[in-house]
Amino acid sequence: MSGISARSLKMEFGDFVAVRDVSFEVGSGEFVTLLGPSGCGKTTLLKMISGFLTPTGGEIHLAGENVTRTPPEKRDTALCFQSYALFPHLTVLENLEFGLRQKKVPLTDRKERLDAVIGNLDLSLHLSKLPNQLSGGQQQRVALGRALVMRPNVILFDEPLSNLDAKLRDQVRIEIRRIQQDFGLTAIYVTHDQAEALAMSDRVFVMNGGRIEQADTPEELYSAPKTSFVADFIGSANVLDAEITSANGNGEIELSTALGPLVARADTPPKGSRVKICWRPEHADLSANGKNRLTARVSHRAFQGHFTDLHVEASGAEYRVQTSKPAIREGDTVTFSLQPEQIVLLEAMA
Amino acid sequence: MTLKKWLLVLALLTPGLGLIVALIGVAVYIAIAQSFGFYNLSGESGFSLEFWDRMLDRKVFNRAVAYSIYVGVISSFLSVLFAYPLAIWLRKPFPGSLAIGAMLKAPLLVHGLVAAFLFINVIAYHGVLNQLMQGLGLWDEPQRLQNDRNAIGVLLLQTWKNMPFALLLLTGAVQSISDDVLNAARDLGAGSFARFRKVIVPLTVSAMQAALIIIFIGALADFSFQVIAGPTNRQSLSQLMVFFKSSGRWNDAAVVGVSLMIIAIVGSGLLAALTRFTMRGRVA
Repeated sequence: MSGISARSLKMEFGDFVAVRDVSFEVGSGEFVTLLGPSGCGKTTLLKMISGFLTPTGGEIHLAGENVTRTPPEKRDTALCFQSYALFPHLTVLENLEFGLRQKKVPLTDRKERLDAVIGNLDLSLHLSKLPNQLSGGQQQRVALGRALVMRPNVILFDEPLSNLDAKLRDQVRIEIRRIQQDFGLTAIYVTHDQAEALAMSDRVFVMNGGRIEQADTPEELYSAPKTSFVADFIGSANVLDAEITSANGNGEIELSTALGPLVARADTPPKGSRVKICWRPEHADLSANGKNRLTARVSHRAFQGHFTDLHVEASGAEYRVQTSKPAIREGDTVTFSLQPEQIVLLEAMA
Repeated sequence: MTLKKWLLVLALLTPGLGLIVALIGVAVYIAIAQSFGFYNLSGESGFSLEFWDRMLDRKVFNRAVAYSIYVGVISSFLSVLFAYPLAIWLRKPFPGSLAIGAMLKAPLLVHGLVAAFLFINVIAYHGVLNQLMQGLGLWDEPQRLQNDRNAIGVLLLQTWKNMPFALLLLTGAVQSISDDVLNAARDLGAGSFARFRKVIVPLTVSAMQAALIIIFIGALADFSFQVIAGPTNRQSLSQLMVFFKSSGRWNDAAVVGVSLMIIAIVGSGLLAALTRFTMRGRVA
């Protein structure tokens, strides 16, 4: 088992708690992304896993071994830095070799590992160059190669694509995922870009205020967020307060909301009588043929190509609706319906 | 750049840099000319190799050359050696680091003569150090520490005085290394010494060279520490130069002065080459 397990991890900086009581398991060969806004504790958590920060509480196990207090140089992890952190005075080949020399890997093994990584990352033309002679994408590949050549149990990525332009980011994203799968590496990836997280990961840990709010597959996170924070952070969502007026045994739940009565469907019973609910803008059906018919006035319209984004006002609040009908204009009144299964029940309200 | 712009730049530089270049240039010219027999204040002026010839045969001169190089090289290496760990320690601010940094740099503001006299007072036959060692029962009787034959006192003073300068240069250089680069080395298995040797030194070698060279030149030409705390059985080059000048032998003094300049230039070049060679070209 070359996965990671963390139990009740805690990190305090004076009075400030950066990570509070975080526990998780990451399976061998799994690609997990830590996703959240700035300051949510994702980089702190990554630094604890890599050993650059010692937790003030809890334990970390790598491949079954307790490494909570093991320094980074003695852990079987490799970290890809946001800034790439290539050694500016060493050539690409020397950068790639650095870790192997430190760990005194025998020459034949060293050569075999280098050849594999150089071939895989297409670096053979750049071996004698210094980092400042490489483009951002090439530097990223060298940083990745330098980590991969170590053949670590766990590879860690700290926002590695944030310095790349949009096109290159897409390319490198695919490359990282391919390499992770080819080498069968367990990977932890930190980002605040939800599109990146959804596209690359087996599972995403959404973090907020030093806690993991939800750990799920990208599909589950999108279709069944558990909290209003996750609903709002992953994609766009219309979140509103609701009171449960009745719940029959078939999973159908009647709600009283500011928009009027709504019917939702949930497999699990609600967590209280007053809950937050959400629905995705693209789930609004402007043919209004289904249940939960709502009427609203369009206050703002933005044509996005394959859909039109509408900001609509109803009962003094603003919601978002997406439609494929570009003819709708600001000031129009629209009626739309929502399928009960597309209304998601979130956390109970205090 | 056009000729007009060049002239403008030269005109702007002349009042400051031009004056310095002119003053140094005149002094260098006079020294070189005097060493070859010109500007003879006590005899006939004219080209002559006699002063060089006589000087190179003098045992006192050769001993002074060796001694000055010894003081220059050891002082510069010791200063850098002590400055590196302090620069790394002070790399990241911590409570009190500013005050510690300021205290460490204080010797830069103390005049060499003052420092030398203070030192002499401390190590004197009936000074504080001797009293302390006797008080602790480590020495039975006072030791003669002043003007020691190996110039340990001079080396101590030179290092004390010059280490802050090396620290000043190295702190800036060490601070310019990003945390990520050092963390990457650590993540790849490099311990503290490996990080120092393979990352910090190559990335700060220019500052180290500057510190070594500037301290070497200063210590090579030392006069005040040598006169007060140096060994009495040998002279430094500047001491010798002052001796000749005081005797009215300006041409001999010029030979010593020019030798000092040559040793400073060659020594600096060798120190720079040595650091580059040690790094095997692996410098940023």
